[in-house]
Order: sequence, then structure tokens, then C-alpha cells
Amino acid sequence: MRALAFRLLQFVLTVWAATIAVFGLMQILPGNAARVAAGMSATAEDVARIEQQFGLDRPLVVQYADWLGGMLRGDFGTSYVTGAPITPLVANSIQVTLILVVSAMVLALVIAIPLGTAAALLRGRALGTILSGLSQVGVAVPNFLAGILLVMVFSLGLGWFPSSGWQAPIFGFGGFLSHLVLPVCALALVQAAILTRYVRSAVLEVMREDYLRTARAKGRTSGSALVVHGLRNAAIPVVTVAGVQLATLLIGAVVIEQVFVLPGMGSELVRAVANRDLLTVQAIVMVLVFLVLTLNLIIDLLYSLLDPRVRNAA
Amino acid sequence: MTVPTAPTTPTRRRARDLTFLVGLALVALIVLMALVSLVWTPYDATTPDPAARLQSGSAEHPMGTDRFGRDTLTWIMLGARITLLVGVVSVGIAMVIGVPLGVLAGMTRVRWLSGLIMRGNDLLLAFPALLLAIVFSAVFGAGTVPAMIAIGIAAIPAFARVARSGTLQIMSREFVSAARSANRTSLQIALQHVLPNIAGLVIVQASVTFALSVLAEAGLSFLGLGTQPPIPSWGRMLQESQQFLGSRPELAIWPGLFIALAVLGFNLMGDGLRDRLDPTLRGRS
Amino acid sequence: MSRFLAAAAGAAALTLTITGCSAGAGSSAGGEGGEARTDIVVAHTAEPVNLDFTTTDGAAIPQALMENVYESLVRIDQEGEIQPALATAWEISDDRLTYTFTLDPEATFSNGDPVTAEDVKFSYERVQSDDWTNALGAKMDVVDSIEAPDEGTVEITLSQPSNTWLFNLASLVGAVFHPDEVDDLANTAVGSGPYTVEEFTRGQQIVFAKRDDYAGATPGTLDTVTFRYFDDAVAVSNALKSGQVDVIGNLQTPELTPEFEADDTKQVAVGTTNGEVVLSMNNADGIFADQQAREAVLYGIDEQAVLDTAWGGYGELIGGMVPPTDPYYEDLTDVFPHDVERAKELVEEAGIEGEEFRFTVPNRPYAQASAEIVAAQLEAIGLKPTIETQEFPAVWLEETMGNHDYDMSVINHVEARDLLTVFGDGYYTGYDASRIEDIAADADAGTEEEYNEGMQEVARTITEDAAAGFLFLFPNLVVADAAVTGLPVNAVSDSFQIYDLAWS
Repeated sequence: MRALAFRLLQFVLTVWAATIAVFGLMQILPGNAARVAAGMSATAEDVARIEQQFGLDRPLVVQYADWLGGMLRGDFGTSYVTGAPITPLVANSIQVTLILVVSAMVLALVIAIPLGTAAALLRGRALGTILSGLSQVGVAVPNFLAGILLVMVFSLGLGWFPSSGWQAPIFGFGGFLSHLVLPVCALALVQAAILTRYVRSAVLEVMREDYLRTARAKGRTSGSALVVHGLRNAAIPVVTVAGVQLATLLIGAVVIEQVFVLPGMGSELVRAVANRDLLTVQAIVMVLVFLVLTLNLIIDLLYSLLDPRVRNAA
Repeated sequence: MTVPTAPTTPTRRRARDLTFLVGLALVALIVLMALVSLVWTPYDATTPDPAARLQSGSAEHPMGTDRFGRDTLTWIMLGARITLLVGVVSVGIAMVIGVPLGVLAGMTRVRWLSGLIMRGNDLLLAFPALLLAIVFSAVFGAGTVPAMIAIGIAAIPAFARVARSGTLQIMSREFVSAARSANRTSLQIALQHVLPNIAGLVIVQASVTFALSVLAEAGLSFLGLGTQPPIPSWGRMLQESQQFLGSRPELAIWPGLFIALAVLGFNLMGDGLRDRLDPTLRGRS
Repeated sequence: MSRFLAAAAGAAALTLTITGCSAGAGSSAGGEGGEARTDIVVAHTAEPVNLDFTTTDGAAIPQALMENVYESLVRIDQEGEIQPALATAWEISDDRLTYTFTLDPEATFSNGDPVTAEDVKFSYERVQSDDWTNALGAKMDVVDSIEAPDEGTVEITLSQPSNTWLFNLASLVGAVFHPDEVDDLANTAVGSGPYTVEEFTRGQQIVFAKRDDYAGATPGTLDTVTFRYFDDAVAVSNALKSGQVDVIGNLQTPELTPEFEADDTKQVAVGTTNGEVVLSMNNADGIFADQQAREAVLYGIDEQAVLDTAWGGYGELIGGMVPPTDPYYEDLTDVFPHDVERAKELVEEAGIEGEEFRFTVPNRPYAQASAEIVAAQLEAIGLKPTIETQEFPAVWLEETMGNHDYDMSVINHVEARDLLTVFGDGYYTGYDASRIEDIAADADAGTEEEYNEGMQEVARTITEDAAAGFLFLFPNLVVADAAVTGLPVNAVSDSFQIYDLAWS
């Protein structure tokens, strides 16, 4: 219990440190936000007036405190560039990104677990080698290349799915799904390749454990022994890796959202960077960092829950 | 299903060596292309040739030409340079900062110091390479240098972790205790005993990180936030090829292929090295 | 959170199912056969960050709202001519200072109120107030007073005669607002135009709905028009190919045009814009402060080759800062023909051979492509440009335009009749504006004929002084489903007019 409290305190401190890091990084942005907002034909006075209007002329500590206080109330402030509150933007885009990422992870696991297990069981045989080889190749393909190829074949070529865009589920579930298929596949296929390798080595690890040898010695086939005893043990490292990869996917989705023109956090981030929409960049980076830190926390907690050895050691 | 016969050790070793060799061959190919491009390329990279626009592969242009009539093979060769440069610099940054921190965290008996290092590590882990690089591109402008630095910084935690766990293992060995009782300084122990013994782990990590940095640079350049024109980069070539997917898919296929080959090469090399170098894994898969 | 995860997991599972049996899952949004559609989806690449052009710069907001939602007293038609809009007629006094507009008595705002002379007075005085921060508001500086003698008449007096003013009035500064509806312009738009904004999803789309009570000059045809915004030019083309959009407002991937031209289900219309792709040089400082150096560049550039490689040969060579749709257009391409020998001589005379200079390029497709080929051509005459890509808008606006920290750049100046701005005093081109100021002032105050002659002289002076290179006139490549009619082919006003769009 003390360990848990300690871990939570640590989490809060890390998040706080992250807010300082993010805010600090943003302060050295070249490209004055007020200048961009003022536009191509603005004079120096126009820029100065807008700076004052946004409160950019206040001391940094005040700006930071203002920002942090707002976030604690769930308010990311108002964008200088769009004049719109940032919170709804973050709320909308985070849905898109999370749906994308979680669907991709589920699909990747659905592909990777059977393939990885098969690759482990068939190790040394032709099929097993082919499976591991394929997973190696899959890891090497950038997800945006996979995305481009999927669009070429399934959208432009066969016309089965739209090439881009997003439809919220409330406007029709069919449309929602058909827009989701290609980006999810682009993310999931590469991810599946990565996970397949982890599943394979986790299964191999488990197969070496003594109780499996014993089970085999008692005449069970390795397949059934694995199902009965091994999969649960193999699940621990796989869950850990899947958690870590979820964070990677979250960031990898940035590129995929660009390819498929999805209104997720990645697209908003890239757009905000281009517009020097400082507060929006700050908000999105902070939310992404927070998500990654939270995922790490959950993995840690799950891990100590699943694995008594770790729990005792901690 | 029957029990699969356990493969004999020689076959396994052969497979392992094959993995390493294939990886090495791919990496060597990329390095060779980059080296050759320093002294010779089939064509000049920046001179456009309007008469030779968008050609497919031929004797003059084995990989065809782009919209400016520039030779794709030349660009692929020059792109190898940027790919390697980004990899070397970012891995270098991560290694030079991450390994000493990891060793320090593993060797120090000051608990708060190792705690501080590892918590700093956790904080850095929350900024994955691509996110950090996008923020850097905003702060310092889009370009190869900010991209390399961001990718490097984001990879520090991986090296620190590997170095720390390696160091912890080494520190429990007898020869370290012996050295300690012989009044060797910590620095001497670190240099004479720890570093040589964790070098293998670090090299494996370097190879894997190299592959990741190739992917990250390609992704960034694809977003337009990495290497800027007119410097040839595979990720950028891929991005620019998009409007020709219908008419000239080769323009996308070549850079895509070479990105994949580079990543594959470094991954395979890392895998092969891991099996060869890591004593704890020797004889295992 | 857990409910959300479950939904996502379900979505992933269904995704799998669909992938497994996708033969029947295709969806077609095409408009072939059956009843004529009453809606249309138009794709654009530049998205509006909000709906308020009174405080926000950029072409995307007026492109969506002007003429469609907001109207001015006058408008610019497809040929670049001034036409009646909210004003059915106007008279100009003999001293050319006072304009008397007669308002359309039928005109109403979308909230039902009639458009009165007081509303016009309110709107135009607002342009001159602090509430209006868009710098384009300066176009109304010449207005001295606005009177509303009766509900249907507006009298506007200028401080000096101006030929440009009425033309400028057709742009966004002329938009007439309802006095009670200006508090939240960023999110709501109440105007007198044929459409209303039914939905605005920032970064994604604007949905326009036809007003049935509109009785003005340009009634709408289709019930619903959607502008969908894409960051990525290639994604736009893909969206048209896969039937998600019906029209591309201006194709930014010209290399794909032949593909669409060959496709019977699509139509391609090549129109003009007000956008001059300018190779700007810093006249005030550095290597290009010397006119000889600038002339060397202009002789060294092969504009046709730039156009062919950078923009697929679509667009027009103009040689000056005036598009052919302007009344004072003159073909100036022969002032500095492509002449490598002459260019090399000038490079030698100016003593700039091998001298390095900064070529700052905004990260826009047309600019980057043009810059790469221009740089190669300049290297061929012995110059050493160093290309430096700058993000647009943020970095380019700050460094190149704001700080004048550049030697050469390339940018599409999209505003109408903008030569006096781009080559005006203090602008980033660093041009010696005293060369043209007096001619321009006389022209603006003179008769229409004097105006056109004067402006022609201004444009010619700018070109002859080698103030900048004029690479090409940016084309308007409209690509659409073959059944769409009423496309605004020329982008010569602020607006992308949607009221004539229809299905044949």
C-alpha cells in the first residue's frame, strides 16, 4: 500500500515536471504568435496590440501559473490564432486518436498472438522461419508507407474504402467503420509485426520453463501444454510490451492521421505547430505526455499485480 | 500436433549467423552507397533536366527520374547519407549521455542520485522521439539537425536503462568486489570492468536505436518537419512521390524500399549481435 | 473510459469482419443516375481558423463567406468586372468624390431583418474602428464620411478621388453586417447572402444551407453545400477519385491534372487567379540592392521551364505584377527574356560571381518546386543560392516578411490589385516606392482611362527596375465530377461562389 502511494506521488511529480518542461520548450519558439495572428500586411503596432490582447507581455511565471491553474480546472485556455477555446478541440481530437489507436492495438493483438505463438511452436521449421522473417520485414515498413499502399490498393484501386476523412459514429456507424478501416490497418499491420516477435519470444521463454518440460515428459503435446500452463505466463511480458507499444502507437498515429486526413491529436498538433498556435501546441503536447505517463503507470501497476515476484521485490 | 524436435545447436548457430550476416550485408550496402556518393554519383543531384522528366527505369536512369528530371538513383544514394548521418548522430547523442548516466545510476550507492537519474529517465520516456522532434521542429525550425538531436534525446532512456541493468549485474560479480577491496576508484572500476562488460549490450541497443531513428527521420521528413529540400532524404522523396502514385509508383517504391531495407538491416544486425555478444543469452534463442 | 475501450474494441472487431468480406462494403457517393442531387461537397486546402475575417487574416474565411453568406454593395464577376450586389445601382458625383448607392429593397439578413442604409453605415464605420483588426481594413481609409439619407440610400464621400476604392469595396471590407450580430463573429455568421452557415467544424468542414427567403441578385441552387478542408493536397485528389468530394476548389497537385482530364467522369477547368508567383529579391539590402544583380537573375531565369516543372505547365507567364483579368494588364514577358549569355555578363559586371546568398522558401509545394528549379538556373549563370526552407506562415512571415532577413524568396501574392502593396514603402521587397508613388496617386485620382494608363506605367516601371521576378500567374485548377455545372472557374474575387453550383 505504501509502495502504491509512493508510486502515485512519483507520478504526480513527474507530470508536474512535464508541465514545466513543455511550457519551457514553448517559450523559445521563434515565430511570434502575435505576428502570425496579425497576418501578412500587419504593422509593428498591430503586432504589439495583439500581444497585449493575448497577455503575451506578462511575466513568464504569471503565464505559467495561469496555464497550470486553467488545466487543473480542465480549461486549456483560448487559442490566439483561432479565438476558440482549446478544450473542446482537445476533447474532440482525443476521441479520434484513441479510437484509432485502441482499435489498431486490438487488431494487432488479434493478429500477433496466434501468429507469434505459431512462429514459436514451429520454430526450426520452414513455416516458422517464414513467419519470423515476415514479422522482421513488417517491423521495417514505416506505417505511413503501409498507409499509402493501402490507399492505392483498397481505395483508389478497388474503391472499397474511402481514402481519407472521418465520420463520427453518431452520423452513421457504417460510415464510421469504413473510414476507420484503412488507417487502423496501416497502424495495426506494422504493430502486429512488432508484437508477433514479442509473442514469439515470450512463448519460447515459457516453453523452456521447467513445468512445461515436465508436462511434456508426462506425455502432453507441447500445444496443449502451452495452452494449459504457458499462455498465462507468456501474457505478462506481452501485456507489458503492448502497453509500451500503445504509447508508441499514440505518437505513430500522428503520421497516419496526416495520411488519412483524420482530425485527431496528431493533425491538430501539426497544424498548430504550423500556425504557431502556441497554447494549442502546449495543450496537445501536454495531453499526449500525460497519456504516455498514465500508460506507464498503469503498466507498472498491472505488472506488479500480475507478477508476484516483482510485487515482492518492490 | 507432435512435439517439435529441438533443433540441434549447429543449425541454430547457423541461423543466428545468417541473421547477422544478412543484416550486416544490408547495412554495408547502405554505407557503401553513402560512401560512393561522396566521390561519385551518376548525375548531379540538383541539376534539373526538363527533357528527362518522370521517366521510368532505363539504361541511363536505372531507377528513373523525378518531376524535375533528376536521377532517382542519385537521390537514393545521397539519401543514404542523411539516413546514416541521422542514425549516427542520434545514436551517438543517446549513447554518450545515456550510458554514463546508466552506469552512474548502477554504481552509485547514493540512493537519491540513482533515483533522480531514473525518474529523469521516466520523464524523458514520456516524450517519444516523434513528439519531441515535432516540438523541436517548432522551436528550432524544421531541419535535419533538430530532428537528429530530438531523436537522440528521446533515445537516452533506452541506453540508460540498458547500461544500468548491465552495471547492476556486473557490480555483483566477484572481480568487482576484488577491485573494490584493492582500493580502485569508482572511475577505474567503471572504465576497466563495467564498460567493457556492458559494451555488448550497448552495441545491441545502438543497432536497434539506429533502426528506430531511421524510421523516425523518415516519418518526420514525410510530415515535412525533417530534412528540408534541396537535401535529398528518403522520407521526403516518399512524401513528394505521393501525387505520382497513380502514374509513377516507382517514385514511391524506391525510397520506401530503401527505408525498409535500412531498418531491416539494423534490426537483423542487432538481433544477430545480441545472440553473439550477450553471455546471458548464449546458447538460447 | 472502460465503456470507451469496449466501443473501440468492438470497432476493431467489426473492422476485421469488414476486411474479411469487403466485396460488398464499398460505398459510392457519386451522383450518377436517379434523381438529381441537391447537395454537393467541395474540397479546399486552406482552412479557415474561424469565421471572423474582421480580425483574422487569410484567404480562407472570405473564400467561404463572401458573396455566399455576406454581401457587399458590389461584387466582382468571373470576368473581373464590377456588378451590382446589395446595391442595385450607384451614381458617382462629378468631382468623383461622392458615391450614391441605391439598396435592393428586397434584401434581408438571414435573421429576417431587412438590410437598411443604417446597417451599411454601421458596417463601414466599423471597418475604420478598433474592432476591425484585419489590416486589409486600410482599404477603407480613403472614406471620409458615410451618410444614410433614407432607408434605401447610402452616400459615401471619399477624401480624394479613388478608382480603386469601388473595386476594393467588392472585397471583404465591403461586407454588410447586422449591428446586433457582430459579437461572436468567430463562430456565427449572419449576413444577407444566399446561404447561411449551418455547421462549422473547425479544421474539417463548413456546411452551407440555402436561404429560401433570399431575394437578391444571386439566389442559390443547391440546398446544401459543404466545404471540406484537407491539409494534404494529395489526399484531396484521392478524395475526389474515391467519390468523397464532388469538386476540388483549386487542385494543388497539378501533375495529376492529365489523369483527371483523361477520365470521362471528371471535368477539369483551368481558370485564372489574382495570384502572382513572385521571385522576390531584397532591393534594399545585400547582393540584390544592385539593380544589375537583379537583372542578371531575371535574364538567367527561364520562366517557362519553371512553370513546366514546378506546376505542370498550368498557369500563365505574365512578366509583371498584373493578372490578365485586370483592366491595366500588359504582357511584360519580353522585358527580360531568357538570355543566359547576357545574364553571365551582368553577373560579371556586378561582380557577384560565386557570391552566396540566402534564398528563403516557404514550405508550400509551388514555392519549393519553383525554388529548386530557379536555384539550378541561377547556378548555371554563376550565382550561389543557398535554399533555406521556412515554415509558412509562421517562420516565413516573421523572418522574411517581418524582418526583411533574406536575399531572395518566392511567394504567391494572392490579393487582388496588390502591386502597390507589394512594392510599397516599407514592404519586404525593399523597393524604392518613390519611383511609382506619384504616378499611382495621379492614376487613382484620375478618370478611369487615366487610371488604367497610369497603373500600366506603374507595373512596367516595377518590371523594368527588375524589382522582382514574376515567375507565373497561379492557375485555378478546378476539378469536378463531370455532372457539376456552375463552377466558378476564375478565382478573381475573394470568394468561391457556391450559388450557381448545380447537377446536370
